[in-house]
Amino acid sequence: MTLDMSIFGFEFMQRAFISALAVGLCAPAVGVFLVQKRLALIGDGLGHIALTGVAIGFLTGGAPLWTTLATTVAASVVMELLRSHSKTSGDVALAMMFYGGIAGGVYLTGIASDKGVANLQQYLFGSLLTAGWDEVVTIAVGGAAVALLMLVLRPWMSAIATDEQYARVAGLPVAGLNLMLLMTTAVVVSVSMRAVGLLLVSALLVIPVVTVQQFTRSFRATMYGGMAAGFLIAGAGVLASAVQDVPPGATIVLIGVACFVATATAAAVVRRVRRTWRRHPPPEGEPLEVELPAGPVDGPQAAPKG
Amino acid sequence: MPVIATYDATVSYGGRAVVRGVDLAVEPGEAVALMGANGSGKSTLVKAVVGLAPLAAGGIELFGVPQRRFRNWKRVGYVPQRTGAASGVPATAAEVVAQGRLAHRFLGLPPNRSDRAAVTRSLDEVGLADHAHCAVDTLSGGQQQRVLIARALATEPDVLIMDEPTVGVDAATQAALAEVVAARVDAGCAVLLVTHELGPLTDRLDRAVVLADGRVVHDGAPPRPVGEHADPRHQHAHPHANGDSDDFWGGK
Repeated sequence: MTLDMSIFGFEFMQRAFISALAVGLCAPAVGVFLVQKRLALIGDGLGHIALTGVAIGFLTGGAPLWTTLATTVAASVVMELLRSHSKTSGDVALAMMFYGGIAGGVYLTGIASDKGVANLQQYLFGSLLTAGWDEVVTIAVGGAAVALLMLVLRPWMSAIATDEQYARVAGLPVAGLNLMLLMTTAVVVSVSMRAVGLLLVSALLVIPVVTVQQFTRSFRATMYGGMAAGFLIAGAGVLASAVQDVPPGATIVLIGVACFVATATAAAVVRRVRRTWRRHPPPEGEPLEVELPAGPVDGPQAAPKG
Repeated sequence: MPVIATYDATVSYGGRAVVRGVDLAVEPGEAVALMGANGSGKSTLVKAVVGLAPLAAGGIELFGVPQRRFRNWKRVGYVPQRTGAASGVPATAAEVVAQGRLAHRFLGLPPNRSDRAAVTRSLDEVGLADHAHCAVDTLSGGQQQRVLIARALATEPDVLIMDEPTVGVDAATQAALAEVVAARVDAGCAVLLVTHELGPLTDRLDRAVVLADGRVVHDGAPPRPVGEHADPRHQHAHPHANGDSDDFWGGK
């Protein structure tokens, strides 16, 4: 198959390519901490809330980008307060975001009836090919700011994501850093969802990170590797979709999922091989804490208990 | 001025008092064990000392400052109970130990030479210098515990607070840990150690405080093993078949 580069003669194609690459590079920089905190679905949750923000934009005549940003940031603050100050568990809070966000979006667009729900769908799946240059700039600037912040704060962010209790005792500003993590997620979701779609942006937060972590040993390598993988997956997705004339968002996500399945399978095979050949010094054996019965044991009781 | 002081400290979970009116003082350079059976409230008391469990009544002071207003956390090295679950994103031993330096670093600035030196030295002290760049979840349980202790040592603390550091750890590692902790005590660092068993670590202690049902029942010389426990060949076996322990490691 030869790749026809003439598609890049179209300006809409250039815009789509740049937007996808920017989101692919920046989203995993935030996503690595979300995966570590077991909040992989939070991007999707904030994306649902963002639908309500878009509808508020329709209703008030304000620019959807800013109403979306305000709504998702506010939601992330409420989410963090719920998580830290009440007995609401993370997944319950997430469920409320999913249901409430969608319902709010549909309800409010219903009130602003001239726009219609069809317009909302554009945000759900994105329309990479209709993005204007100003949107590309917003994505690039917002993404770069978020990625830079996460790169600079990586040791602190990874400390609160790995072991929040230890981070508290180490005197780190845990509440502030947690809030910042959710707010940067909100920024990534809201600046990029109009162009690349809610489905795609939340997938790009998570998939590149879980793909590279099959092979990495350090947090730093996972973060940089995730950003590189996101960049490559997004780029490959746009190219493939242009060749086949299919929606780019879905193509990018499918390529990402395929990469994850492939690396997860390969990693399982490699782990099996490494069991006989290890790169690092093997852990010294820990003595059994139970006394094994001496001599041959007959019957089914030979199976170890506990 | 004691390093750690609790006055009539009471901690309750859901209305049930787990720690009841405990007075505890750890002087600078003193090594104290907090002992007791599972459920006696020893871990809860330590969590209250470091601010992870709220006090229902009484007071706690760290270095003479009320705990709620205490901000100088780089003087405290905390070793939490090791949880069996592997974390999501991999991290190397050096990265985990480097977390111990974050209290010294200014938010957003890269580590300086003394930060890096402290990480290397701490890993060396616990005998994991060769494993600095191994992913923590590929290490054995005893090695993971040593990583957590190295993280606390990297803080260069004036008090080391360790919650059950010997649970699920082999005898060789226990002996190595005892050496490391003894070296810190000799250098003037105070130690508060939560444990429910006697071992190499408890041999170096100045004092033991024994809790039962949330109250202090003994405060003085560390208890000595008696009977068959005193036999060096004694296998300290924990048959977990009765199902009364909460997790894989037999801890709580």
